Amino acid sequence: MKGSNLGEFQEIVLLTILVLDDNAYGLKIQKELSERLKRELSRGALHTALSRLEEKGFIDSYFGGATAERGGRRKRYYSLTQSGKVALKQAKDLREEMWRLVPNFTLSFS
Amino acid sequence: MSQDQLPSRFYRLFQWLCKPDLFEELQGDLEEAFDENVETHGLRHARMTYRKEVLKMLRPSVIRFWQTPTFFNHTIMLKNYFKTSMRSLLKNPTSSFINLFGLSAAIGICILVYGFARWTYGMDDFHEHRNEIYLATFMADRDGDLQQNGSSPRPLGRMLTEDFPQIDEMTRIDDKQVIIKSGDNVFHERVRMTDQAFLKMFTFPLKWGDISSLGGVNNIILSEDMSIKYFGDNNPVGESMEVIFGQDISKSFTIGGVGVAFPTPHALHFDFLINIENLTVADPDLNMNDWSSFVAATLIKVNNPEDLHSISYGMDKYKELQNGVDSDWKISSFAFESIVTLDQKSEEIRSQVWWGSNSNYTAINFLIVIASFLMTLACLNYINISIVSASKRLKEIGIRKSIGATREVVLFQFLIENIFVTTIALFLGLLLGVKVVIPWFEAIINFDMGFNIYDWRLWVYLPIVLLFTGLISGVYPALYISKFHVVSILKGVVKFGKRNMLTKVLLGLQLLVASILITSAVMFSQNTNYIAERSWGYDPMNVVYVQFNDATGLNRLEELMLQNKDVISTTTSTQHLGKNIDLEVIGLPDRDFEVQQLAVDAEYFQTLGLRLKEGRFFDRELESDHQTIIVNELLTKKLGLEQPIGEVFNIDDANYEIIGVTEDFHHDSFHEAVRPTILTLANKGDEVFLAIRAREGSVDEVYAQLQKHWAVLQPNEPFSGGYQTDVWGNYFEEISNHAQFWTGIAMIAVLLAGLGLYGLVTLNVSGRLREFSIRKTLGAELLSLIKIVLRQYTLLFAIALIIGAPASYFAVKSMFDIAYTYHVPMNSLGVIIAVGLLISILLLVVAIQVQKVAKEDPVKGLRLE
Repeated sequence: MKGSNLGEFQEIVLLTILVLDDNAYGLKIQKELSERLKRELSRGALHTALSRLEEKGFIDSYFGGATAERGGRRKRYYSLTQSGKVALKQAKDLREEMWRLVPNFTLSFS
Repeated sequence: MSQDQLPSRFYRLFQWLCKPDLFEELQGDLEEAFDENVETHGLRHARMTYRKEVLKMLRPSVIRFWQTPTFFNHTIMLKNYFKTSMRSLLKNPTSSFINLFGLSAAIGICILVYGFARWTYGMDDFHEHRNEIYLATFMADRDGDLQQNGSSPRPLGRMLTEDFPQIDEMTRIDDKQVIIKSGDNVFHERVRMTDQAFLKMFTFPLKWGDISSLGGVNNIILSEDMSIKYFGDNNPVGESMEVIFGQDISKSFTIGGVGVAFPTPHALHFDFLINIENLTVADPDLNMNDWSSFVAATLIKVNNPEDLHSISYGMDKYKELQNGVDSDWKISSFAFESIVTLDQKSEEIRSQVWWGSNSNYTAINFLIVIASFLMTLACLNYINISIVSASKRLKEIGIRKSIGATREVVLFQFLIENIFVTTIALFLGLLLGVKVVIPWFEAIINFDMGFNIYDWRLWVYLPIVLLFTGLISGVYPALYISKFHVVSILKGVVKFGKRNMLTKVLLGLQLLVASILITSAVMFSQNTNYIAERSWGYDPMNVVYVQFNDATGLNRLEELMLQNKDVISTTTSTQHLGKNIDLEVIGLPDRDFEVQQLAVDAEYFQTLGLRLKEGRFFDRELESDHQTIIVNELLTKKLGLEQPIGEVFNIDDANYEIIGVTEDFHHDSFHEAVRPTILTLANKGDEVFLAIRAREGSVDEVYAQLQKHWAVLQPNEPFSGGYQTDVWGNYFEEISNHAQFWTGIAMIAVLLAGLGLYGLVTLNVSGRLREFSIRKTLGAELLSLIKIVLRQYTLLFAIALIIGAPASYFAVKSMFDIAYTYHVPMNSLGVIIAVGLLISILLLVVAIQVQKVAKEDPVKGLRLE
């Protein structure tokens, strides 16, 4: 495996899945991400990221029930696995650790 | 409901491209987004977004074709493919041979095409400054057409260098026929006179000596060939050579250098180089500033090609200078031609230095057509035979598939096998090309192609040939073979080749190609005979000629020869048919009309056997005949003269009356069309040719005696005469070479088509072995089996030949019209032979195959295992 470290985009995708909780399926994730990042994101690009995360074992997925909308096609819901949560936590800890070490940080607006 | 509004093409594209297990999720998301977009942004926008999204789905993680090709990494499998390929090749030596032979023959021809194209387009490309050197040419009006000429007025070169500082170097070129004497060696030679810059502008390095020696008027530079001819392998620099320019004019030169052998191919070359100032030595009266006389070429070298424009603009004043002195050659404009493309344009530009013909460029096209024909034949064979041999390997394929090989893997295996065979064929083909085809071709057209196997371009070209051949021949069989399902293979229900439409179409194509090639071979052979028997318009048999540059000596020789009782008649002339002809301009009221001119005496017609159409020949007794001309028939037709006799023409400011019209006769070989020609009475003292008609059967004795008299009269000069029948050099040989070439090609084509047919019939018969065995046990005879096999080819052959026969006829006809000015009238013999040959090949192949079945015990064909 290519290693289990987490890219920045992947981290955000994981967070989005957490945010959406029970309703985390492809289109929702795509829309949520596009809004938060303020840039357009194609469903195809999202798919690449999701499949990569699944390969790494950070997320899991299951099909929901069929509905009348979307041509009767089922949704695939994503959720974080234990190792996904651990990886996300590690990433957060690393950032906080480093933020603490920053001596003097002010945003300059001038 | 939403599904109808989706862009259907993109929907289907996505459905087709997407991995099946992802489609439900992804299409669901896209469709949901689409529905939302329709509500919020409208249908148009939603459709647009959908399309964009689909296009962005084109990524490895989504597309179904992007499966990591796992078999690429398996060296063990590759090894296994290699082994099975090798085994199946060795197991079926006949079909392997057909494949290998066919492909390598075709590749051999491809290599010939490459070599020839390289030779033709590489003409003169060894000159370092080739992009900076330009030939001065001028346009002149000739008979209504603008003719571009490569010669230039004699003073032009010097004036150019004085007027344009942009010109870096300049050289003029002029040639002279001379006699060169060195010790005991005396030969007729052609010396090239140039400026000193010649050797600086053109890359002709010297083996011995120094290029600056060309600056001295007393030095001469030899080509390597000439150095060997006169001095063997010794270094001749410093030796002297006597150059005899003409009667009583000779000069001694010191050898200043010897050139390195010319690279092939080259159009510009020299035997002997001397400084152009020697023009005044050769002719003391010559005026270097005379605008009405010409040198063969003026070449300039400019450092910056853009300067050429400014020079071209400044050329108008020369036009006036020129037209002021010489009203005959009205120049309409000057133009500079890059030497890079001179050889290709040499047909349009009249030049004495670059006079090649562009027939080589036409020949390349012919060769490409031939090569692709043969390549097609070979590839079609390969396709058919691969399918045949696959029927013997069905079990292998079945087993491979049942232990987990996908269709792609089998496809890949067969492609690998094909590439393996093609690679072997490539090397065999290269060997064949270099060792057989090219030497054969060189022997036929009699030149050295200078083919170099280490040329890097060749190694770019070869992989392209390999890829092309591999793909054309390999893809279809691989697709076809890999298609079968395991179950049907193992059950034994797969039937091969019975109803394969494609193999039949391919066979039809092969027949067509073979038919065209056979027809052309027959036509070329017929043409050889036709050309050999075609009338020259006069009778060249039993005539010998000699060129003698001194009129009194010539008359003396004539008297001596007339004493020979075998001599029927003799004639003297200034020009001579087949050897030398002049150009003259007839001034018509509305235009200038260019004609060829022969100045002859009254006996010329009788001696050469020219045939009179109307009027009369010259009369020796009539002094007034000097103001008359005899014209050929073509001239009267061109000018539309109904009553040519008595018509008066203005030539060189004098009037000439037509007194006779001859039938058309050929001065040049049949390559060239006959041109309008006039005959005039030669002025006394101008004659240089003596022609003699000998009694039938004694021409050799007369020739021997002519040489003997020559040796007495001209002990210091080499004999310069010959048989009239030889004046066209190796023209007839050339024509018969064409026939040889096409016969060779047609033979290969017949062989390939025959082998292909053999493969196909084998396929057919082996596929129906069981049926035949049953028929045999029930009492069928050999003949009825043959009939059964033939039945399915009858229709195919009929269709192929009904299309093929007229197609060959017209293809060959148009080819002949392009290649020859005069050729044998088109007839259907070639087509008949082609059709007959192909049908007999079919019969033969079927008979052989069925015979095999007939001999075999039917039990063998019937038992299951």
